[in-house]
Amino acid sequence: MRLFLRLLLRNRLAGFGAVVLAAIVVLALVTPLLPLHPPNATNTADRFLRPLSGAHLLGTDHLGRDLLSRLLWGTRLSLAVGFAAAVTAGLAGAAIGVVAGFFGGRTDNLTMRGIDMLMAFPYILLALAIVAVLGPGLMNALIAVAVVNIPFFARNIRGVTVGIAHREFIDAARLSGLGNAGILWSEVVPNVVPVVVIAMSTTIGWMILETAGLSFLGLGSQPPQADLGSMLGEARAALITAPHTSVVPGVMILLIVMSVNLLGDGIRDALDPRLRSGALARPMAATRVARRSVPPPSGEGLLRLDGLETQFHVGSRIFRAVNGVSLALNPGECLGLIGESGSGKSVTAMSVMGLVASPPGVITAGAVRLQGRDLIGAPYEVLRGLRGSKVAYVFQDPLSTLHPLYRIGDQLAEAIRAHAPVGRAEARARALRLLHDVRIPNPGDRADAFPHELSGGMRQRVGIAMALANDPDIIIADEPTTALDVTVQAQVLALLDDLRGSRGLAILFITHDFGVVSQLCDRVAVMYAGQVVEEGPTAEVLAAPAHPYTRRLIACVPELGAGRRALAAIPGLPPAVDDLPPGCAFAPRCDRATDACQSGEVAVSGSLHKVRCHHPEGRP
Amino acid sequence: MGGYILKRLVSAVPVLLGISLIVFVIMAMIPGDPATAILGSYATPENVERLNRYLGLDRPLWQQYLTWLGNLLQGDLGRSFALNRPVLDEVLERFSATLILAGTAFVLCALAGIVAGVVSAARQYGLADKAITFAVILGISVPSFFLGMMLILLFAVQLRWFPVSGMYAVWGGGGPGDLLHHLAMPALALSLVATGVIARLTRGAMLEVLRQDFIRTARAKGVPERRVIWGHALRVAMVSVIPVLGIQAGFVLSGAVYVEMVFQWPGVGRMLVEAILKRDILLVQGGVVFIAACYVAFNIAVDVAQGLLDPRIRT
Amino acid sequence: MAFSSLTRRGFAALTAALLATSLPVAAETPPGVLVVGQIAEPQSLDPHAVTAVNDFRILMNVYDGLVRYAPGTLEVEPALATGWEISEDGRTYTFTLREAVRFHDGSRFDADAVVFNFERMLKEDHPYHHTGPFPLSFFFGAVQSVEAVDAGTVRFTLNEPYAPFLSNLAYPTGLIVSPAAVMQHGADYGRNPSGTGPFRLAEWKANESVVVTRNEDYWDGTAATEAVVFRPISDANTRVAEMLSGGIDLMVEVPPVALSQFAAPAFRIVEQAGPHVWFLILNAKEGPFADKRVRQAANYAINKEALVNDVLEGTATVAAGPTPPAFSWAYDDGLKPYPHDPDRARALIAEAGAEGAELTFYVTEGGSGMLDPVAMGTAIQADLAAVGFDVKIETYEWNTFLGQVNPGLEGKADMAEMAWMTNDPDTLPFLALRTEAWPDKGGFNSGYYSNPQVDALLEAARASTDQAERARLYREMQAIVQDDAPWVFVANWKQNAVASDRVEGFTLEPSFFLLLKSVVKN
Repeated sequence: MRLFLRLLLRNRLAGFGAVVLAAIVVLALVTPLLPLHPPNATNTADRFLRPLSGAHLLGTDHLGRDLLSRLLWGTRLSLAVGFAAAVTAGLAGAAIGVVAGFFGGRTDNLTMRGIDMLMAFPYILLALAIVAVLGPGLMNALIAVAVVNIPFFARNIRGVTVGIAHREFIDAARLSGLGNAGILWSEVVPNVVPVVVIAMSTTIGWMILETAGLSFLGLGSQPPQADLGSMLGEARAALITAPHTSVVPGVMILLIVMSVNLLGDGIRDALDPRLRSGALARPMAATRVARRSVPPPSGEGLLRLDGLETQFHVGSRIFRAVNGVSLALNPGECLGLIGESGSGKSVTAMSVMGLVASPPGVITAGAVRLQGRDLIGAPYEVLRGLRGSKVAYVFQDPLSTLHPLYRIGDQLAEAIRAHAPVGRAEARARALRLLHDVRIPNPGDRADAFPHELSGGMRQRVGIAMALANDPDIIIADEPTTALDVTVQAQVLALLDDLRGSRGLAILFITHDFGVVSQLCDRVAVMYAGQVVEEGPTAEVLAAPAHPYTRRLIACVPELGAGRRALAAIPGLPPAVDDLPPGCAFAPRCDRATDACQSGEVAVSGSLHKVRCHHPEGRP
Repeated sequence: MGGYILKRLVSAVPVLLGISLIVFVIMAMIPGDPATAILGSYATPENVERLNRYLGLDRPLWQQYLTWLGNLLQGDLGRSFALNRPVLDEVLERFSATLILAGTAFVLCALAGIVAGVVSAARQYGLADKAITFAVILGISVPSFFLGMMLILLFAVQLRWFPVSGMYAVWGGGGPGDLLHHLAMPALALSLVATGVIARLTRGAMLEVLRQDFIRTARAKGVPERRVIWGHALRVAMVSVIPVLGIQAGFVLSGAVYVEMVFQWPGVGRMLVEAILKRDILLVQGGVVFIAACYVAFNIAVDVAQGLLDPRIRT
Repeated sequence: MAFSSLTRRGFAALTAALLATSLPVAAETPPGVLVVGQIAEPQSLDPHAVTAVNDFRILMNVYDGLVRYAPGTLEVEPALATGWEISEDGRTYTFTLREAVRFHDGSRFDADAVVFNFERMLKEDHPYHHTGPFPLSFFFGAVQSVEAVDAGTVRFTLNEPYAPFLSNLAYPTGLIVSPAAVMQHGADYGRNPSGTGPFRLAEWKANESVVVTRNEDYWDGTAATEAVVFRPISDANTRVAEMLSGGIDLMVEVPPVALSQFAAPAFRIVEQAGPHVWFLILNAKEGPFADKRVRQAANYAINKEALVNDVLEGTATVAAGPTPPAFSWAYDDGLKPYPHDPDRARALIAEAGAEGAELTFYVTEGGSGMLDPVAMGTAIQADLAAVGFDVKIETYEWNTFLGQVNPGLEGKADMAEMAWMTNDPDTLPFLALRTEAWPDKGGFNSGYYSNPQVDALLEAARASTDQAERARLYREMQAIVQDDAPWVFVANWKQNAVASDRVEGFTLEPSFFLLLKSVVKN
């Protein structure tokens, strides 16, 4: 709840809305206590007095009634009506939607046809006709406005209910012998209520507007009673001569509707779990950089990472995903980067070209040098020029990483044309050649396919072809085979290995699978909790792992094709990166840990085969 | 695709019939009858009865409805009591005026809404985003009749840039320029609310899309940011924006009632309000069925457009 | 950044497009063409098929009747008939017709045409009776037969003496249409009218304009303007805005609150009292108003001066009795309105023991001649509250309202707003004050007022063909009715119109018709 309020108030517009609305509601509540003129006392001689004239702060209307008093009493009534209409429409619509969505089948079909009918009916005319049938009066206007809004709620809630009706806990409830009514009441309704409440709260303003619209058409409250809509309706005749009589209720309607909408938006955002985690923030074109100093280069290499630190800032919490990583990749070399999920290996890889989603990602320290040139903090256009042309990426799940609505040939051509000034035909020819190069049969036909029409292996070949489009020096492959089944995985790895040989590519290969590393990589770096804990030639590390973590990791490598039970074999869990323990991050799970491990930074030892451990394996 | 459209068209028939039945029943429930409406002050029971007999309104309701249905099958929507002319002629004339107004407003709100939504999402929490969010919320909070009147006072009465009302100049008008000149203010007033709704929705859809993996892929390829936003992201966002365009089209058609009244646009919305007040049952019937058919057709078009845009749901 | 330049360009293009369309600064209406702001689209241009004053305004310029009201009065003078004779018993009217008059379609106006006109309306077996409906044909319900004596003479025979007959002939329902055009267009005649009037229909663009052009062959001298354009503008504010911006030259039914906008010399406000009365029907059958003293108290309690001067901004005068002063020959000048006297009202109420009564008050939201009914109803409610009545207003849209009021107020309400515009002093009291006009007997006496003396006076007036005798009877009736107070007599409307300074020679008629033949547009 406190998080909710904080999120709500963080949104300044929503806060503004909340304050305005609260002020209006308070005014409406205390209206009977205020020393106002009686709202219905007419004095036709004093009609159309301007605001600030004598005893009438906001002036008077066409019958000489005090506008301020009518405004406050009217606001009171309109708020009540808007609220009542929203609740009525919301409850009725929700009831229909829940029943239709839960029972499905014929019930659903019939109900939705009925809803379709109402929605195809121009709603203003429906409201008009309903009021004409029921007779005039605010109550009937309320009913009309509520009725015409039922379809929107019903449709909305039906969608939500259908989603819930197919969830496991419904089946579970059914198995436990609960009847339909019981399930509806105990399982479905509680899940629907928040949606209904949000939808209702955001519609109150709309309801007030619509009742005002009905008053415009001459169907509203009965005189002399004031509600904002009828005030506006009655004042309309004098709009040109005495505009203040329309402007006063008009502005109040505007304020109410606006504040309700602002607040409603804020509430929706604050309740949205994705927004809470910052996931609904739009990632910028390049990761935000906030580093105090640039570390000097610590050596040679085609690509060098020096003391790279990447963090995620969510609210007041800081997740330190990458914690001072230094690595080097040489031309034509394949470097494996291995670790559990959450170890920071992918973030490291994405940081290279500024592809870490930001917000919430921030690069807070370190440097990434490509052929000696620092990319961190480079202008966007420089970065864009290098992306795909010098350093290309192959991502994990090609179904979500390929654009779903573009044909793959076009996606390849686009990658080419982003860097090379070639025409459409030339780009397409090159794209076909690339498809051929990654051994996709029938490239001409496949180029016109959409990603969802290809198999997983084919898609990943497309992903690789796309990475090759501009003959990059480096390919960063982020778990490119994880989503594939084992035989396909082997084919893709073989392909990558071939391409590396034939094109002289350097590959940074990210994986959590030592089996894969052993097939492909010259060297391997092991990451744990955002740090590289061991690094060395693949054969050496495999044969003699120095870090306890590496040893355990290797120990649970399955035979090829035996599935991925892998890392579950290490007792305990990796530490949360927003709350890293001092000292060695692995210490709590390590059987060799001593008191020294629990405090102070652990230094790296070794030159070719480096390790970050006080008690490396093979040494006592 | 053709078969799908046909299926949708066929399934629209019961919906339209249902609507016509609802209209008939509601109109029958409204107190007062066309004869009273025509006779006004002279509506004595005797005169009313005589006129009702003349108009064939003394028959039972189901009989009247069946007659209407029978005539409908022959393309005859009956004759309007209040206007003394065939319903079809009147509805077609008024409907084309509404289509011009609502169509323009719809194009305006779709374009402006989408552009505003995209800019707002691309600049999330930036100044542009805040300004657009505020403007959008302001826009959807102003009653369109109020806005219309204010536009008239400012641009027609004070500045005299635009004509106050009507569709063409009454004397010597008629060209497309004349039409545009008359169309500008009502179309603006009508499009404002829908612009706001579409902008907010587009913004949400864009934010959702922009954090997806394929956007990162596009960026990793070195695709220029402008193309990432307006090409890659918008195209996917449109898949969820387009169905809402369908619903908004309904709102624009409905909202046209107010705007047509304020700007004296000779459209079908104003016609229907007047027809309801005059109990002109056949005119109401014809007008509503036309609007509903238009709404249904538009939503079929929306579904087709969505299918064209998204190969995954193409069937 | 990239997209901002794009949007900036977009805005620039949009602005340019808007400016381009606004270049022709709202054109003034051309000279010789008079543009009139009407309150609604005409229903039909068949004079026998319509009931609305709004439609009459066009029809009176396209058609002529056998007789018409002399300018500025409500007294009949010759038109298509050059003269007439009334038989002693008041049952036979013989008209001599004007010669060499042709309809706009070229066909000849003669006695057969007149017979066709009335038989179409009145005889259910007439071959063109289906081109109706003819809702106001009961105006001529007393006509037994119409005969063409010869080409230039036509004779009407009535089934009983009916004094308002001539006056009804001057009403739009008595206008003469071209039989040839009716035969040609059938049910669509209303869109293809052909009369003998000073203007002929040139174009009717539904809901945009009705354009009539000068009839060069008019028998009574050609019109002063080349054309008149009637524009339906149902929203009063929009009508005012059009007038202010120069989009129309002339508007009728100016909302009272907007009158002050036209004080500038560029405009001229024209006023004319008409045969209109705005009143409250009181339920004399049951409840507090069954007592005459309470009915009188209501008349004293309501501040009519404030209503006409403040709510209606001086567009009406206080009504004294049931007959509007516009029927000057039948109006009793000596009748003084009930003064605003709340003390007297309270005393009368106390005398009748009706203190603090709860009253239901039917108010309409609009309607023909109802002026500003909601505001008036609210003000009346406040006045009655001041003398201790607890009044509950129920508002209804006009047609529903009529559906509630016309069948009688019994069991539903104590009072209801009402207004009538008539062409003869007979019409309103005959239809709404006689015992024989109670709702169950087919009349409009929704408040069940009954006074045998009044009944007798009205019957006698209707049967008399002597105007002086009729005037005496009506004056006597007015005094009795005022004292009985079956109604609260509130206001007589002064019809108003605004013309721009480019319009000359424009006047309003007491008949509420709009005659544009001699109007000049510069």
